[in-house]
Amino acid sequence: MVLADLGKRITSAVSNLTHSNVVDEKALDAMLKEICAALVEADVNIKLVANLRKSIRHTVNFKELGAGVNKKRLIQKAVFDELVKLVDPHNEPFKPKKGRSNVIMFVGLQGAGKTTSCTKLARYYQARGFKACLVCADTFRAGAFDQLKQNATKAKIPYYGTYTEVDPVKVARDGVEKFKKERFDIIIVDTSGRHQQERELFAEMVQIQAAVKPDQTIMVLDSSIGQAAEAQSKAFKESADFGAIIITKTDGHAAGGGAISAVAATRTPIVFIGTGEHLLDLERFQPQAFISKLLGMGDMAGLVEH
Amino acid sequence: TFSFLRSFVGGKALTKEDMDKAVSSMREHLLRKNVAQEAANEILRTVEVSLIGHKTGTFESINNVVRAAVESAIRKILTPTSSLDLLREIHTKRTKGSRPYVISIVGVNGVGKSTNLSKICFFLLQNKFKVLIAACDTFRSGAVEQLRVHARNLKELSEREGGVVELYEKGYGKDAANIAKDAVTYAEQSGFDVVLIDTAGRRHNDQRLMSSLEKFAKFAMPDKIFMVGEALVGTDSVAQARNFNAAFGIGRRLDGFIISKCDTVGDMVRTCPLFNSQQCHTNNPG
Ligand SMILES: Nc1nc2c(ncn2[C@@H]2O[C@H](COP(=O)(O)OP(=O)(O)OP(=O)(O)O)[C@@H](O)[C@H]2O)c(=O)[nH]1
Ligand SMILES: Nc1nc2c(ncn2[C@@H]2O[C@H](COP(=O)(O)OP(=O)(O)OP(=O)(O)O)[C@@H](O)[C@H]2O)c(=O)[nH]1
Ligand SMILES: [Mg+2]
Ligand SMILES: [Mg+2]
Repeated sequence: MVLADLGKRITSAVSNLTHSNVVDEKALDAMLKEICAALVEADVNIKLVANLRKSIRHTVNFKELGAGVNKKRLIQKAVFDELVKLVDPHNEPFKPKKGRSNVIMFVGLQGAGKTTSCTKLARYYQARGFKACLVCADTFRAGAFDQLKQNATKAKIPYYGTYTEVDPVKVARDGVEKFKKERFDIIIVDTSGRHQQERELFAEMVQIQAAVKPDQTIMVLDSSIGQAAEAQSKAFKESADFGAIIITKTDGHAAGGGAISAVAATRTPIVFIGTGEHLLDLERFQPQAFISKLLGMGDMAGLVEH
Repeated sequence: TFSFLRSFVGGKALTKEDMDKAVSSMREHLLRKNVAQEAANEILRTVEVSLIGHKTGTFESINNVVRAAVESAIRKILTPTSSLDLLREIHTKRTKGSRPYVISIVGVNGVGKSTNLSKICFFLLQNKFKVLIAACDTFRSGAVEQLRVHARNLKELSEREGGVVELYEKGYGKDAANIAKDAVTYAEQSGFDVVLIDTAGRRHNDQRLMSSLEKFAKFAMPDKIFMVGEALVGTDSVAQARNFNAAFGIGRRLDGFIISKCDTVGDMVRTCPLFNSQQCHTNNPG
């Protein structure tokens, strides 16, 4: 993600303000305008941007500020806090335990990167001593099973799928049952891409979920998604109640604001980000570190410590 | 008390200030509808320039004047500068010589290239053409098998609809430009009318993968290069179009866009109005 551009703009807007002699309403408005423009350009949901502006204005209320309050410091902190709020829902994601079967189900829009990411995640856990495996419950997309099979084979991860069964609910149930019997720690279920406008596809997702009873459902989001992110992620949240998000293709050029908006819209933490097409291109996500990286080491660096 | 009248201007020449409010609410509207900020600003800038000094009719609201101007600006952007009649072009080319008509599909990862290629193939088969699909995504797992399934289904359809379809595949790991070239040669020898070339998804900021497109265009010599862009995408659309447009070397550009996944965005849109390319297809489900 080209966070650098967004970060630079925000940092320079804040430092312009804090370096100017007079810190008044007008200067604050100019800074907010610039920050909001930068966020919108980064695809952050436009309603969230409006809220962020309101919140900062509310926190930095010149009329009610007592004498002796450090305005500059207050403004910096308000900006930082609001940005962290965007990516940090204060919700702990599920942590799998060894020695029992942890079922993880992947959901998301078409082409978001589910199949690629579920192999990456299986490999991630495998490398940490979990016995991990994959179930292909995408019976819709042409070549879906071959894709998962080839990925799994490369990563040396056991997999389950079929070329003949067309009911994804049955495939998912059979696969999970088989691997539970074989005492796998991590059983990851890949599903077809779908979108809220197709009710039947959503109903199918709910049925798969009922069949495999996942300990965690993960929604996969493409970092280039725009303003549709909020509505789609909310719809997935309502139907599938996912507990974590993976943002993919962060090696691309998009700033990722759309995907980030999904976090705020659904109060769900990002657990990993995808950073490339290869098996090892997966990184853990940390909101605080993310924002400090976003804002660079400039004037904001001091604020990152809290 | 007369403040509501302020947005009405009877027979007055418009100034930039008159339009400020209407323009900024229009900007907000476009952004909500997922139009990239860069594009929205560009549209509104031209609209402003064109409206300054414009004499309004009596009791015409500024909002309406601005809205109408934006509407016509967008219509202009979306109207192709050259007409696209694929079927006629293919016929013309086929009567001239033996080389088949070559179409290649490019775009970033997962936008719907392979799916749309199959949809185009279906359309060509309905028109009784002999089509060769070239599997030139030699990287992504399952890419070849995906096309194999599509080709098999299309073959069944072609028995009903007419036309002929075949898949040209050379597996994984090989150079896409070479396979594309061989596919075209094979198609020429075997009397195919059209070659549809699928390519691997690539990030438009990946120098290495983008620069390989130049060799690809040189080897495959496509008559048409279409970029697939998904309606879901945000601001990145502009850079996607710009970088793909510039990737094929001097004198070769994109010939058009295919906008996929229009069924997933409700009432939002995504356009990249910065290019003089045409939007040749939009995709609704089915
Ligand atoms: N550059 C990049 N490409 C990625 C990343 N993750 C996935 N991709 C690519 O995105 C495309 C789509 O990925 P898939 O895993 O097939 O997506 P999916 O969500 O399973 O797609 P459907 O099953 O069709 O809904 C493929 O070309 C992947 O190689 C990433 O982190 N970076
Ligand atoms: N809803 C919807 N889904 C679509 C549309 N076009 C493609 N898809 C889906 O998007 C996903 C990706 O499609 P592909 O055709 O594999 O995309 P691609 O660009 O070839 O992907 P890579 O080769 O991995 O880069 C699949 O699940 C398709 O079924 C569309 O118009 N609407
Ligand atoms: Mg998949
Ligand atoms: Mg493809």
